[in-house]
Amino acid sequence: MTTNTNDELAQIFEGWSSTVGKPTLKDNARMTTRGVDVFYGEKQAIFGVDLDIGKNEVLAMIGPSGCGKSTFLRTLNRMNDTIDICRVKGDIHLDGDNIYDKKMDVVNLRARVGMVFQKPNPFPKSIYDNVAYGPRIHGLVTRKAELDEIVETALQKASIWNEVKDRLDQPATGLSGGQQQRLCIARTIAVSPEVILMDEPCSALDPIATARIEELIAELSENFTIAIVTHSMQQAARVSSRTAYFHLGRLVEVGATDKIFTAPEHRLTEDYITGRFG
Amino acid sequence: MTNQLNAIERLAEVKQERMQKNLKARYAKEKRFQVYGIMSICLGMAFLAMLLGTIFYGGASSFMTSEIKLTINYDPDVIGVTDLTDEDELKWADWRGLLSTSLAERFPEVSGRSAVRQRNALVSSIAEYSLRDRLLANPEKLGTSEEIWIVADDEIDAVMKGQVDRTVPESERRITDLQLSLIDSLEAEGEIRQKFNTTFFTAGDSREPEQAGIRGAMIGSFYTLLVTLLLSFPIGVAAAIYLEEFAPQNRLTEVIEVNINNLAAVPSIVFGLLGLAVFINVFHLPRSAPVVGGLVLTLMTLPTIIISSRSAIKAVPPSIREAALGLGASKMQMVMHHVLPLAMPGMLTGTIIGMAQALGETAPLLMIGMVAFIADIPGGPLDPATVLPVQVYLWSDLPERAFVAKTSGAIMVLLGFLAIMNLLAVYLRKKFEKTW
Amino acid sequence: MTSSSLFLLLIIIVAAVFVLGRKRSVDVAQSVGGIRYLHSLPNYYGLLAAAWAAIPGVILLALWSAFQDVIIQNSVFSLLPESYQALSGSRLDLVWAEIYNLQKGIITEASDPAFYPAVEALNNLMTTSTTGRTVLVIALTVLGGVWGWRLIKPEQRARNQFEKVVEALLLASSMIAILTTVGIVFSVVFESIRFFHKVPFTEFVFGIKWSPQIAINAEVAGSSGAFGAIPLFVGTLMIAGIALLVAVPVGLMTAVYLVEYASSRVRSIIKPLLEVLAGIPTVVYGFFAALTMAPKLKGFFEGIGVNGVSSESALAAGLVMGIMIIPFVSSLADDVINAVPRSLRDGSYGLGATKSETVKQVIFPAALPGIVSGVLLAASRAIGETMIVVMAAGLAANLTANPLEAVTTVTVQIATLLVGDQEFDSAKTLAAFALGLMLFFVTLMLNVIALAVVKRFREQYD
Repeated sequence: MTTNTNDELAQIFEGWSSTVGKPTLKDNARMTTRGVDVFYGEKQAIFGVDLDIGKNEVLAMIGPSGCGKSTFLRTLNRMNDTIDICRVKGDIHLDGDNIYDKKMDVVNLRARVGMVFQKPNPFPKSIYDNVAYGPRIHGLVTRKAELDEIVETALQKASIWNEVKDRLDQPATGLSGGQQQRLCIARTIAVSPEVILMDEPCSALDPIATARIEELIAELSENFTIAIVTHSMQQAARVSSRTAYFHLGRLVEVGATDKIFTAPEHRLTEDYITGRFG
Repeated sequence: MTNQLNAIERLAEVKQERMQKNLKARYAKEKRFQVYGIMSICLGMAFLAMLLGTIFYGGASSFMTSEIKLTINYDPDVIGVTDLTDEDELKWADWRGLLSTSLAERFPEVSGRSAVRQRNALVSSIAEYSLRDRLLANPEKLGTSEEIWIVADDEIDAVMKGQVDRTVPESERRITDLQLSLIDSLEAEGEIRQKFNTTFFTAGDSREPEQAGIRGAMIGSFYTLLVTLLLSFPIGVAAAIYLEEFAPQNRLTEVIEVNINNLAAVPSIVFGLLGLAVFINVFHLPRSAPVVGGLVLTLMTLPTIIISSRSAIKAVPPSIREAALGLGASKMQMVMHHVLPLAMPGMLTGTIIGMAQALGETAPLLMIGMVAFIADIPGGPLDPATVLPVQVYLWSDLPERAFVAKTSGAIMVLLGFLAIMNLLAVYLRKKFEKTW
Repeated sequence: MTSSSLFLLLIIIVAAVFVLGRKRSVDVAQSVGGIRYLHSLPNYYGLLAAAWAAIPGVILLALWSAFQDVIIQNSVFSLLPESYQALSGSRLDLVWAEIYNLQKGIITEASDPAFYPAVEALNNLMTTSTTGRTVLVIALTVLGGVWGWRLIKPEQRARNQFEKVVEALLLASSMIAILTTVGIVFSVVFESIRFFHKVPFTEFVFGIKWSPQIAINAEVAGSSGAFGAIPLFVGTLMIAGIALLVAVPVGLMTAVYLVEYASSRVRSIIKPLLEVLAGIPTVVYGFFAALTMAPKLKGFFEGIGVNGVSSESALAAGLVMGIMIIPFVSSLADDVINAVPRSLRDGSYGLGATKSETVKQVIFPAALPGIVSGVLLAASRAIGETMIVVMAAGLAANLTANPLEAVTTVTVQIATLLVGDQEFDSAKTLAAFALGLMLFFVTLMLNVIALAVVKRFREQYD
């Protein structure tokens, strides 16, 4: 941080009330979050975030590292449940269902809100079994032919079918990094989720592989709602329709992507996208 | 593009319905899996409780012993000795007579050969030797009499500990009705008592349970461990220093490392074969001696000590090495002055754990003859001896009920030593634990 | 002079050499302008000279002490009449004990007058040996010390040279591991070769009758004994198999529960308790198996109407051995399960898998090599475990598949054949070494394979 001392930040966040821009959507919202706080033990990581994710939109979340964007993303399909000391407050709804409700089943939730991780993490199984994993555990198919069709469709949709169709029974760990990440996307869409969360999906990939994933995100947005966390502003600009800027656990500004990158309203957002820190 | 999605779009329609159908079964499976885990842990813990429970329950009684109060008259006529310094006379002395005379006076009503034999069996069959030793130590007592407590026979001890079922017919007991009545009369007069069994800690092995103790085995274990420690600690630490700090990356180093890893998993009995073939048959070291046991256990514990010492050395941060070298210290000086002192607590912890393993080891010591029956308490590492775990093994084979309790008692002592050693290791680790 | 007083004298000489060497370095330094001009600190000159003194003397002393008994004994035996030289090992030992005691004066009358020349010779040899040792060792030490002392010059690189000596000692210490392996191999291989001269290898490996005890008495007709080791192998495998059937699932599930489910508080209680279970000496398990488990099992099976349950059953030994191995399996499994990267778990949870589905379908396959290697190591332990089976499995070499009967194992036979009187040329004693060779070879193979498998597993996730 070059322009903001901690004192200045404290001033900015003192009596923090609202996010600049329009975090909420009138209709068309697939997921809504209201007043979300996240704590790791005693430490608060997310402060009162209100944010909606619309149907079939690509929402990018950007911000300096440690700003809580990944933490926030992980609350959306309750991946934070696997961390003992993590607590989440506030309301998060998926299609009107409160996902932190006691009645909400986390297994079911994660089948509806899929996730793609920073590092490609194919299971040590064959390519076919990786994609078939989700449908199998959820018992989504009744016949082998149906499963074959789903696997093929998912791989096609993840634009990797042509590369792997002749070696579906080979271990997925033998694929290149970019292929592995597309396989992980195929694995996620094979359970037909409503929302796909992507946590810096290209950070471990080379530029060519990154470009292919970015194309893929654009195609997927026709059918899925996508929230993507990225450390690359250019990537956010290329793939998303809306962008949310996070800073020190707060959602500072939300808006249409081109507006955020051309005419940000908040000073922090401006400082970030003009490269004064990050 | 869109038509490719048919399968997944179709899936979206039936997804919730199919998932819900399976969900209950999946959660049941999850629960069951978790229960398996809990059951596994409980099984281990239950066994641990059962093992310790059985041993403590059975062994506690070995720490108590019964004694009978008798008036002993050191009558020269009974003993048949007039001069306590005359070796020839002592050879033929009737020490047993002291006890039987005394018992006859206490129970004049008992008569008949069988009854007298039963009466005489009240006291330990080798109690006479303690009387002999007592008289030889105090020769002025000859011709006088005194009241002393005499160790009771182990069967009488069992009655006192309530381990004998009196309702069983006499023919099925090892103790007769007459003996029971004698015990009852002694008890009524307060002339039989239970007290802390000091013999158990001060005596060597014996064929008579009431006279058997673990001191011989404890001393044997001590000498064996002493030899092990004196050899394995310096050698283990030296080997670890060499491998971590000096060893070049070559074939020899690789061979040494492979050897250490494999030796760590060689069955202990094979080390016993080595000890028998090399130390005893080739070098003619004495059989049954703690020094051989110590050598064998050294070879056995070395891998443990080397491996833990190496990780202690590894944990010393490179910055300290660089600082020392930067000041112009030679590599040897850096190791001896800086790395070794910092790694020492970790090495000591590893060594204590290795020693604890050595203390509990039995099989290889059987091979080198440490299983002999040895009643004397060893005076040095070259004397024949046995060790605590071997004593446990020896006693566990004996038929007398009292030895079962003694075995458990010996195990309790052994476990006590192991617990102390392990707690010491934990304490060292906690005290010197450093995060760099 | 006795070994210990000679050793003490050695220490005094070496200490003196150190002091003198140190002084000399200071003296020679005067000629070049003070100790500043020495290559190393005076202490290093003293240490180096002391090393020159100590090392040759100590080596000589060690070698002499190690071999004098053997040499003396052989030369004494060569004086005995032919009939004694043909005696077998343990009887010869008795003769030796008698001669030795005669020489010491513990006994005064020999059972055979032919012993007297031998006693005489022993007396002379021992005197000669002790004197020779004292003189030679002291001479060598002093010579070494003088040599080291004379070498001291200002430009001598004393520190570097002394450090080389220390490094050589460190290397020697780590060579003990190799020596141990060589020692094991030699001790089992030589005796095994002698055994296979008496009993054909094929009979040993494929024979189905084991009764070595008969062989003690050579006078009984047809008394070669039977050395078919198949019943032993079967017994060993049965008990080890039962142990693994208990230990692998229980140990694995324990590890899974501790890593994936248990709270850190539960972990901090259970793990030390498992270590307690692992730290209990095997003889205690043996005692428990023989005196508690076996009678309970017998009672149980007789209660449900199964008869012919032996009081020393394979089942009791196997079950208790299994329990003993649980902590071993669980700590190995704990390591490999922890080594499975978090990202794989996340991937599975992210798709909506439950914990058990993740464990069974992602973590187990990923950790499989590590688990396999753990099972192999556990098998090696079970096969090599001695005390439990000695105390609870019995001696009868039954070739049976019924775990309720008594069986015997390789380790039990080694232990029983070698405890008590040994005759080093009877097939009975040698058989123990042949069994030891088998045991060493099999456990070594299991270890090598296990270590190779786990190494590949580690490389995969590092």
